[in-house]
Amino acid sequence: MNLFNTVIGSVFQVSKYLLLLVLANHCTLASDQGRDPSTVINNEAVISTSQEKVVKLYGAGGVRGLESYQSGIIIDNSGHIVTSWSTVLDVNKVRVVTFDGRRLDATVVGMDPQNELAVLKVEDAGLVGFDLATASAATTGQRVFAISNLFGIAAGNESCSAQKGVIMATTPLTTRRGKIKSLYQGRVYVLDVMTNNPGASGGALVDLKGRLVGIIGKEIRDEQAGIWLNYALPMDVVKASVERILSGKTSVQESSLKAVAQPHRPSDIGITLIPDVLAKTPPFVDQVREGSAALRCGLQTNDLILLLNDQRVDSRKSLERMLSTINRADSFYLLVQRGQELIRIHVRP
Amino acid sequence: MNRAITSWIFLGMVLAWTSSKESLLAQELEAPKPSQAVLEAQQQRIESMRKASRATVAVYGTDGQGGGSGVCISADGYVLTNFHVSSPFGHRMRCGLNDGKMYESVVAGIDPTGDLAVLKMVGRDDFPVADIGNSDEVRIGQWCFAAGNPFVLATNLQPTVTYGLISGVRRYQYPSGTILEYSDCIQTDAAINPGNSGGPLFNMRGELIGINGRCSFEKRGRVNVGVGYAISIKQAMNFLWQLKSGRVVDHATLGFTVATDSNGKVTVSNILESSDAYRRGIHYGDEILKLGDREISTTNQLKNILGIYPDQWRIPIRYRNDDGIVDTFVRLQNLHLPSELEEIIKGESPQKPPPQRKPGTPEIPPPDEKAESLKQSNIAKKDPLADLYVEKRGYSNYYFNRFELDRILSLRSNQGNWTESSENWKITGEVPRENLNVEILLSETSLVFRLGDKSETVHPRQGWPQWIKQRSSIGLAMGMRVWQEWNRRGPRLMGDAIYLGRNPIVGREGLFDVTRITVSDFDVLVYTSPDTGLIEVIEIFSDNQTDPVELYFDQYEPVDGRASPKLIRLVYGLETQFLVSINAIQIHDGQGGKDL
Repeated sequence: MNLFNTVIGSVFQVSKYLLLLVLANHCTLASDQGRDPSTVINNEAVISTSQEKVVKLYGAGGVRGLESYQSGIIIDNSGHIVTSWSTVLDVNKVRVVTFDGRRLDATVVGMDPQNELAVLKVEDAGLVGFDLATASAATTGQRVFAISNLFGIAAGNESCSAQKGVIMATTPLTTRRGKIKSLYQGRVYVLDVMTNNPGASGGALVDLKGRLVGIIGKEIRDEQAGIWLNYALPMDVVKASVERILSGKTSVQESSLKAVAQPHRPSDIGITLIPDVLAKTPPFVDQVREGSAALRCGLQTNDLILLLNDQRVDSRKSLERMLSTINRADSFYLLVQRGQELIRIHVRP
Repeated sequence: MNRAITSWIFLGMVLAWTSSKESLLAQELEAPKPSQAVLEAQQQRIESMRKASRATVAVYGTDGQGGGSGVCISADGYVLTNFHVSSPFGHRMRCGLNDGKMYESVVAGIDPTGDLAVLKMVGRDDFPVADIGNSDEVRIGQWCFAAGNPFVLATNLQPTVTYGLISGVRRYQYPSGTILEYSDCIQTDAAINPGNSGGPLFNMRGELIGINGRCSFEKRGRVNVGVGYAISIKQAMNFLWQLKSGRVVDHATLGFTVATDSNGKVTVSNILESSDAYRRGIHYGDEILKLGDREISTTNQLKNILGIYPDQWRIPIRYRNDDGIVDTFVRLQNLHLPSELEEIIKGESPQKPPPQRKPGTPEIPPPDEKAESLKQSNIAKKDPLADLYVEKRGYSNYYFNRFELDRILSLRSNQGNWTESSENWKITGEVPRENLNVEILLSETSLVFRLGDKSETVHPRQGWPQWIKQRSSIGLAMGMRVWQEWNRRGPRLMGDAIYLGRNPIVGREGLFDVTRITVSDFDVLVYTSPDTGLIEVIEIFSDNQTDPVELYFDQYEPVDGRASPKLIRLVYGLETQFLVSINAIQIHDGQGGKDL
């Protein structure tokens, strides 16, 4: 109710219908919860219930401004977790820490590169999640809570952070060249609160009744203005991704790929990768040879190769394996991460 | 015909427009009024913020430069702020209130580890005071608001109020770069920006729940990114009297470290054998279950809770060893050496010019003219702060240490006059449980202690440690000697007396004033009641590797106009050796004995 007046102010200009709606909503809440201003809306219960369904994720990273942690949302009662698809997941097992401090291992079921979402699975841990069936769409002007482990503040059984906000706009994420770089270009909820901090991506956006309305997106920044965008992906997008992933359409089965007689090789394209010293050495480009195809196509030293033809490259080994399935004469697409940017590169031999 | 059609269309449009306008109007009329509860809550919020704003302080340097925030917590003008706010100004600063006035102020105590400082404003005895809330009751999801001076915007000294949600509680923020450590702090998304530092965080009842001090920034520059931290008011209140002592206050260690073992238990991984914890039976591998009033399930929690207590406090601890669960108390040790704290302060203090305005930050407001002229005229007559600052090594302002010790000693006047008595005392009593008589003879040359048919003698002022190390019951005579000297001559004539602040006493409610007296080869802690000034406990330390002797005084009764204890308990390391019931204190002056 404390936000009530601010809401009135902004909503008046937007829609009188919405005002009625909001008023009606707030009045019931007010009468439900008594008169103490700190408990008029029972935020505490809504937030603590939601916090139990948000997990802290730990994986690869921790170098060059890449965080090794992020947030995730439990989306059913059989151990599925949806999160942002990022380099954090480039490990054999993603470490999941639940609200009560349990440390569990998750495997990546699959990812949807288009929406930059991934689904993880934790086996037999009795996790209780949001009900995707009741997850709903939100409207502009609606008040929401964001729950995530931004800045990695919480550890172990400590609660994820909660923030309050209003959905300022529902709009496609226009990625004009040179402004905002994001793989995802669909609709987003733009928020008035600084949710999208390091570690927040994959966190939950819930309405005042604790229903899931979105997932906090990855950090993106307007290159010109230097402004970080605070946004979330709506639930219809999340649901579509989850369905695609769980139906097996986007998961990678490397074994199904067949090697060709005359494949591509990193050295032929003109790149040297960093030495393969780990079980899953991230495929960083160490050097690009002068006059090579790679240089011509725009690959640079320190690029991290994430996708090959929209399929996940989780290590140097898997890159070599995947390249071996493409005929030397064919062109292919790479998605690379360069600093904080994702760049799509068409490699023509 | 064309014309006819056009006009019909026009008429239709007019009708449609009118009807739509009517329906809009109707909706406006039908719009329900906010319920009474909503309006009342709004009014309550306005009141809370109005009240809270009155006690919110804008802190500036003496030249009106720099800027931070603070909050007034007592009518005589004590202000809580951050150490990192006060330190650039040295010992003098000016505090602005929303009455539009600037008040000359001086630093009292500082806590460089916990990032707290206490300032004292002068010029009034009715400063507006913030209500102190209970930060233990703060929950994630509650609303809160911060008040302060972000970006030094308060040109008219009106604080800026920012509103937000409690995002997290019991957060621990590692020291970043400096030793500033935020334990058990409150996280909020209320905007906390540069200049908000040291300012108050309130709950929606307008009660003070924290002191804002830090944000998570990382790569996004030094402005709010939706994550601010406030030191809990519980911690601030634990340290308040320590800070009012004008000392450089330290935090504490337990004397052991913990780690999480393979079963997820928090166990002792290292312990100093000279520590109080070791003497209380805690050993390597024991599981720590509870510290203070909180259960422990992670090493982080232990660190978090420890950070809210000053050194020398004794706090409850529960641990488990092979024999079962043990509840005891542990005396906290200082975290830093005095020399280490000095180094820190040297690093933080101004080497003259106060911090330069960073490019892009707003213009610093000019000093309030009225206050400026007031200051000028005051300086012409007399600097109001001239008597309120005394420099001394180890203190941020020694004046306040003297001030607090004077306050304690002034309470003695209510207890009758001991000052004119001679130092030849005979105290008689009995140990009821063992049916033994006790006799203590205090004189200029010796202390004699008789228990039943045993008798021991010790020098009245030195050589005590060897007896204390043996846990001798002559500690009772030593304690009585301290009690006698405190009341007869006062602590300053006994040795080097320092006011430490307020500490808890095992088994007693509340906090007690503590004075440390360094006599020849031993230290004494005297705990007195803040209300009556009566001595509650005396502890005499031989060194920091052995338990001190502790005397607990009870049942004060007026005898001959002087408050005298009827019961004294002798304790070594929480174990009561015996309880003495005092029958008489006889004072032998030159003209013979006099019964009390």
